[in-house]
Amino acid sequence: MNVQIKEIFEKVKSENRKALLEHEAKEILRLLDLPLPPSKLVKTEEEAIMAFNEFNGPVAMKVMSPQVLHKTDEQAVKIGIATIEEVKKTFNDYMNRFAEREVVGILVEKMVEKGVELIIGSQIDKTFGPVILVGPGGIFVEALKDVVFRMCPCSKEQALSAIDEIKTQKLLNGFRGLAPVNREQLAEIMSKLSNLAWEYREYIGEMDINPLIANSNGIFPVDARIILK
Amino acid sequence: MIRMSNRIANFFNAKSFCVIGASTNLLKPGGVVAENFAKDFPGKLFLVNPRGGTHIFAGKEYTLYKSVLDIEEEIDAAIIIVPAKFAPQALEECGKKNIKNVIVTTGGFAEIGEEGVAIQNRMNDIMKTYNINIIGPNCLGLYSPVLGYDTMFLPVNKLKRPKPGNVSIFTQSGAFGAAFIDQLARLGSGNWIARFISYGNASDINEADCIEYLGDDEDTKMILVYLEDFKNGRKFMETLREVSLKKPVLGIKANRTEAGAKAGASHTAALSSDDAIVDDLLKEAGFQRVITWDELEDCVISFATQPLPKGNRVAIVTDGGGAGVMASDMVSDCKLQLAKFSPEIQKKLDETFPVYYSTTNPIDITGSANAKDYEKALEAVYEDPEVDAVVNICIPSIPNLDINEYIEITRKIASRKEKTFVTALIGGEEADYAYDVLLKEDFAVFKSPGSAIRAVGRLVEYANYLKKRGKNL
Repeated sequence: MNVQIKEIFEKVKSENRKALLEHEAKEILRLLDLPLPPSKLVKTEEEAIMAFNEFNGPVAMKVMSPQVLHKTDEQAVKIGIATIEEVKKTFNDYMNRFAEREVVGILVEKMVEKGVELIIGSQIDKTFGPVILVGPGGIFVEALKDVVFRMCPCSKEQALSAIDEIKTQKLLNGFRGLAPVNREQLAEIMSKLSNLAWEYREYIGEMDINPLIANSNGIFPVDARIILK
Repeated sequence: MIRMSNRIANFFNAKSFCVIGASTNLLKPGGVVAENFAKDFPGKLFLVNPRGGTHIFAGKEYTLYKSVLDIEEEIDAAIIIVPAKFAPQALEECGKKNIKNVIVTTGGFAEIGEEGVAIQNRMNDIMKTYNINIIGPNCLGLYSPVLGYDTMFLPVNKLKRPKPGNVSIFTQSGAFGAAFIDQLARLGSGNWIARFISYGNASDINEADCIEYLGDDEDTKMILVYLEDFKNGRKFMETLREVSLKKPVLGIKANRTEAGAKAGASHTAALSSDDAIVDDLLKEAGFQRVITWDELEDCVISFATQPLPKGNRVAIVTDGGGAGVMASDMVSDCKLQLAKFSPEIQKKLDETFPVYYSTTNPIDITGSANAKDYEKALEAVYEDPEVDAVVNICIPSIPNLDINEYIEITRKIASRKEKTFVTALIGGEEADYAYDVLLKEDFAVFKSPGSAIRAVGRLVEYANYLKKRGKNL
């Protein structure tokens, strides 16, 4: 076990929280060497502007608060922020609207170029223990239900065969001008996450990496949710 | 992988066996099992009946012991076939007698509710105290004709027994097991069964032990499964993954409801219905999942008799255009491909047949065909290296076809077993007649083009799985 990963879980537990905040979940993914978009957790307007300038391109800004778990529902996520003006406006809007809540910081994250939206997720099955799924992701994931399961831990080969069993193969092969999904890389990510779900099964109850965006530069986890047992 | 000697092997390899609850009434379960063992079991047989005395089973006189504790010799395995309320005491006596392998066929345990659970718990305690391996309760137990081992307590005139063969079955449901055993007894030659295991409530031995035992068993060339749930799902899947590389494993996993998925905090939880997970895991482990009961017989007849196809290229020979079209549709439904004949074979076909026969795949030798035409067409495509499987479809009602000659030709080519060769007979009396004759000899014969091609599809699916996992065919 990785000491730093364990510390994150222990910290969340000691604070009596069920869910990791997005930046905590992403810190774990970073420790697994997954390719995350650059991001910074900021506390002031100046820091937000600095991060924006550093990333040199449009960013997303998200409220990190144990009291704001459904960020989209509460309009605590804004994407495609392209000017300093917008950064300031968004920062101040968050500060006003969430003044009464405990806010850990604002996550400023470089926007990932558009691509195919995928999901990788894990949960604990009563029969088979930790299992992991892969498939087309995004907001329609539960309607499409085009996911394939494997037991954790799963090897890269097992992950590859799961990817081959996804029904909507068209989406993976370069659909409507999008880059084809790099199956090898996706399989590697799935295998790493399955190891995480297996090794830390005493902590992790459910995990959603959705969307995971596959574009011509690679495959990037854009949102990550980890819920403790 | 180093394995502990499989616990099921201890049952089948027993040199001495005891029936506890041996009834003198041959219609009662305890009487049926005593008679089965007296007739066929090559080892030593002991019978327990609290009334004592002696009784003749299968022409031999046996002492009826009042308790296993009265028997002096060592006993390797036993069956308890007494009402549930007497079962704990019988098991306790087995423990004291140092019998380590016990089958409990009786029902009335965990499956009937609270009272039954209490008895089963008592049984479990005794099992642990004496370190006994248990099959059951609430099951048919074991059957192996080659070993003379038969704990199926249904009378032989009611439940027919298949003769020795190379198919093994394990089933969670005793009723399914009984029905399928009965079916196999009248399927083809009836020579099918290597081992049959009905493990019921799985208080001890479960599906993971079964797959491991049958995977290692040399008499077993294919495994047929009926499951409703898993007692040791992870181990089962891991073992299945190894076993399916050695022999085909197929069957039914019932209970396909959407249960299990919960509206949860994550999409993953919402997508995780029990069957969605089970279906993917079985497939990944090389299990050929069958959904309907009627397809099981088709699977036995194709997997147990046919060589695996090297690829997915199918040749179809038919005397009816409609049958050919339907067969071609099914070819694509089953992810197969219509073979493109090699130039030499195509030339041969073109030269052999009149112009009004359709000589490209699917070959239609039309209503003018006779049995010799079948022979020429079937032999030509059988020889073609571009063909992996041959589908022989016949509607025998055409005027020039002599059905016995057709049967003889089919028998000759099907006996070569160099390629997958399936036959579909469509029609009435003559079709049924040819079907019955060929099936009796264990040829892969079906009653529709669809079932014949679906059978080829299954074989190809398994062959593809093996190839993907690096096996040479």
